[in-house]
Amino acid sequence: MDGLLAIRFDFDTVGDFLFDPIILRAMRETLYIALLAMVLGIGLGIVLAVMRESRNPIISGPAGIYVWFWRATPVILQLLLVYFGLRQLIEEDIFRDNWTRWRAAVITFGLNEAAYMAEIVRGGIQSVESGQMDAAKSLGMTNFQALRRIILPQAFRVIIPPTGNEFIAMLKNTSVAFAIGVVELLNAAKIQAARNFKPMELYTVAAFWYLVLVSVFSLLQAELERALTISERERPETLFSRVLTIIGGRRGI
Amino acid sequence: MLPRSLGRYFLVFAVLALASVLAFAACGDDEEEAVSGVPELEDGVLNVGSDIAYAPFEFYQEGTEIEDGLDIDMARAIAEELGVEAEFLNTGWDGIIPALQTEDFDVIMSAMTITDERSEEIDFVAYISVGTGIVVPAGNPDNIGELDDLCGLTVAVQVGTIQEQMLDEQNEECDQSVNIVTFDTNPLAVEDLRTGGADANFSDFPVASEDAAQSGGELEVVEPQIAPEPYGVGIRKGSTELKDAITDAIQAIRDSGEYDQILANWELEAVALP
Repeated sequence: MDGLLAIRFDFDTVGDFLFDPIILRAMRETLYIALLAMVLGIGLGIVLAVMRESRNPIISGPAGIYVWFWRATPVILQLLLVYFGLRQLIEEDIFRDNWTRWRAAVITFGLNEAAYMAEIVRGGIQSVESGQMDAAKSLGMTNFQALRRIILPQAFRVIIPPTGNEFIAMLKNTSVAFAIGVVELLNAAKIQAARNFKPMELYTVAAFWYLVLVSVFSLLQAELERALTISERERPETLFSRVLTIIGGRRGI
Repeated sequence: MLPRSLGRYFLVFAVLALASVLAFAACGDDEEEAVSGVPELEDGVLNVGSDIAYAPFEFYQEGTEIEDGLDIDMARAIAEELGVEAEFLNTGWDGIIPALQTEDFDVIMSAMTITDERSEEIDFVAYISVGTGIVVPAGNPDNIGELDDLCGLTVAVQVGTIQEQMLDEQNEECDQSVNIVTFDTNPLAVEDLRTGGADANFSDFPVASEDAAQSGGELEVVEPQIAPEPYGVGIRKGSTELKDAITDAIQAIRDSGEYDQILANWELEAVALP
């Protein structure tokens, strides 16, 4: 009569594991993989986007094929190929010792993300009027200078929001790295659950930390978008700015 | 004197009776006496319940409905010893014990480990003994012979298995702990061993043995198996005559060498009863 749910769901277990070192270490793993992969993805993505915009097919072609390959196959399959596949192909100890599951995961997620980032950055570049490129050139800038000084800074305003979404998606997708034995947040919970037969309690712990991580990054993303808005009038309110308004009685920072 | 028609009936009956006696005698040439007195076997059939989806113990030959496997061969040998035919009924694992209790079949042979919980429900006669196998690269470079040898090494294992638990417990004995790498499925754990990410893989002995056999000489399995537990023929509580008959039959095939032959056919000599 005490409620069936209460009997089957053990809140004490949730409490025990919420700050368990194994869970916290796994959360750090999730964060590191996602952050490093994102850095790789953004860097390579910009290069690929610029390559795809080239009129020279020898430059734009390979970039197109790259994006096609990494977007057309599931990331779990890419992980298996990059980790197990390469280890099978290259039997030298020096390679195998250094090609760890962790590095393979970071690089695979990074290479995969680059394909998506390439499309996002390309969209950003295309959003800048082509007349600006001509204007920059008429001032004597090279293609590269025009890109760096004129086009990309404007493109970033268009690029930032979807990039934040990509990062949040990546943070959650790292869980598929379990295919190659990387233990991150969800799978640390899964492994513990298989030992104490309390899956719901452990998944609740994992869900809590995913919510915390994603919330923190969502707030940061909102701040960044706000900072990149040129006109004060169009600046969106963020949770952070709203809190400041309430505390300080003034708008914005 | 009997009426004529009735006499004819009597004649037919007598012939039929004689024929059936002869037929019975013919098929009972090399029969054991065990059949008589075992109610379950009076129909000439040993009905076996099995979850036929667990190679190499019980499975259907590819693309057919022909049962095959170590348990299947063992059941047929036991039935032959009892002078009856074995017939198999494919039954889901979850409901297999209740199905035995409601007399859907006479015995269970389904790679069933004898446990205390199951023994409260049904009786068992042990027929093989199955434990855990350590799979290592051919030549066993780390010289692994037992659990203690795994300390300090990386071992790939499927999540949530008894083997993962064993490694956890082993870690309390190790100075340098076992690096346990868990995977969703055992084939991925084997792949990790094959590509050098792990030093050993840890799974049920027959599975380990099969993985080694399929590896084309890349892998081998460490013998003897670790922590063997008996698998039992499940028998309804109260079927005492049948239980005795099956106990005797297993002893008989062990004595005759047929038992060893079956295990050898499946390359699982290591799971023989001690």
